[in-house]
Amino acid sequence: MEARFTELLTPFLKYLGDQELTEDSDLRRLGLDSMQSIELLFAIEDTFGISLPDEDLNDATFATAGTLWKSITAAAGAQGLADAA
Amino acid sequence: MSATQAVAPGTASRAPNDGPLMERARYVAAVAAEHARRHDRDADFPVEALAAMRETGLLGLTVPGDHGGLGGTLTDLLDVCIELGRADMSVAMILGMHCQQVAAVTGQAAPRLRDELLPRIAVGELYLASVTTEAGKGGHLLTATSAASSDHSGIGIDRFAPIVTGGAHADGFLITVQAPNAASPSEVSLIYADRGQLTIEESGAWNPMGMRASHSVALRLTGHVPAHQVVGEHGAFSVIAGEVFGPLAHLAWSAAWLGTATGALSRVVRMLRSPAGRRRFDLGSELLLGRLSAARQKLDNVHALLRHTEQAVRATADLSQPRMQLLLNALKITASEQCHAAVDDLVTAVGLRDGYLKDSETGLEAALRDLRSAPMNYSNDRLHQADGRLTLLDPEVRLA
Repeated sequence: MEARFTELLTPFLKYLGDQELTEDSDLRRLGLDSMQSIELLFAIEDTFGISLPDEDLNDATFATAGTLWKSITAAAGAQGLADAA
Repeated sequence: MSATQAVAPGTASRAPNDGPLMERARYVAAVAAEHARRHDRDADFPVEALAAMRETGLLGLTVPGDHGGLGGTLTDLLDVCIELGRADMSVAMILGMHCQQVAAVTGQAAPRLRDELLPRIAVGELYLASVTTEAGKGGHLLTATSAASSDHSGIGIDRFAPIVTGGAHADGFLITVQAPNAASPSEVSLIYADRGQLTIEESGAWNPMGMRASHSVALRLTGHVPAHQVVGEHGAFSVIAGEVFGPLAHLAWSAAWLGTATGALSRVVRMLRSPAGRRRFDLGSELLLGRLSAARQKLDNVHALLRHTEQAVRATADLSQPRMQLLLNALKITASEQCHAAVDDLVTAVGLRDGYLKDSETGLEAALRDLRSAPMNYSNDRLHQADGRLTLLDPEVRLA
């Protein structure tokens, strides 16, 4: 996972504390609720200049840092913005 | 009470515990109807209807056949909730919520717990209540402030719940608690506890406007249960909430509400068509016909949305997609508003004597009071907030 992704994600996780953010980090458990998911989505789309496909906007995508990052890199690749990934 | 009094007029003298599902449902509905006015007056639990649900196997409606249940589908559940709702909305909601608990056990519990509970539910021994409310968080499902303790001997529970439907009569409880050693309130576990494993203190009185027979009391539950009585993974209640509790609650509640409004319209039409009704009402009145039409139209709209949502849920693997969540919420909001509005139309249509008096034969007064709770049962305001956010997530507006 890229540093700019983990930096973007960290403020949304109010229960992260001193834990290291890894691909397995459970986002809901760390405090991401549905309202924040939307703000996070907007932040991702602005930062990476991508649009996550509708079929990725489900609980599975927002489950862990790793699943979300995977969706971002897939969208970046598909949208010809490989430099973002 | 003598044995003959427990049987409603015109019903079989013995509870049908084999034969078609709807025959059993109609028997339970008849028992519920016979006692509905008394339980509404006294705001106590419909014990005769619960006994009939145990006897007919209806408590095991959605328990899979290989565990001795009736193996009912989602369609069966909704059909039964509509049928019971025609007689008594509290009874329909009680069964709907019980079946929602059963679905959590069937779909999410590990084999050991499933094998312990499902056969007991199937034979009518185990009526399950849901304990998800907590003081201070309202109906918010996905957090818990009450912590469970965990040691080598099992899970300790000390939980106050301000509203537990049927809590005083339940044989077992599915309880949300903060997972042992949780790092945040969003790590919620669902724990099964048998009545015999708990010390139960009931507090406060139940004296609501409607839904009086749901007997939704405040309970403090304390006890200690074996570790295997967690349903699903510790901390993973959000999965059960999203895949089971939310969808089934909205579908079964909407069916119960539709049943209540349907029963009300049916009684009004029978009253109007009776010789006495035809003497008192002008059935050619454009005003009366218009109002009957408006009520019927609302019911057909809710029914169409209910059946469409049912089909969409059956056909969709991932219910967390925005368009599915939006559809389920739209069903709940629409049913809760339109069923109440339909009964309100009927009160206007037939007037004070037949529509508004507490002892009017049409029973519209009770139906209207009961349905008034529907928009508050998981508040429509809260659902609209969620829907607004979900709408933002779906810029293409793909309809389910």
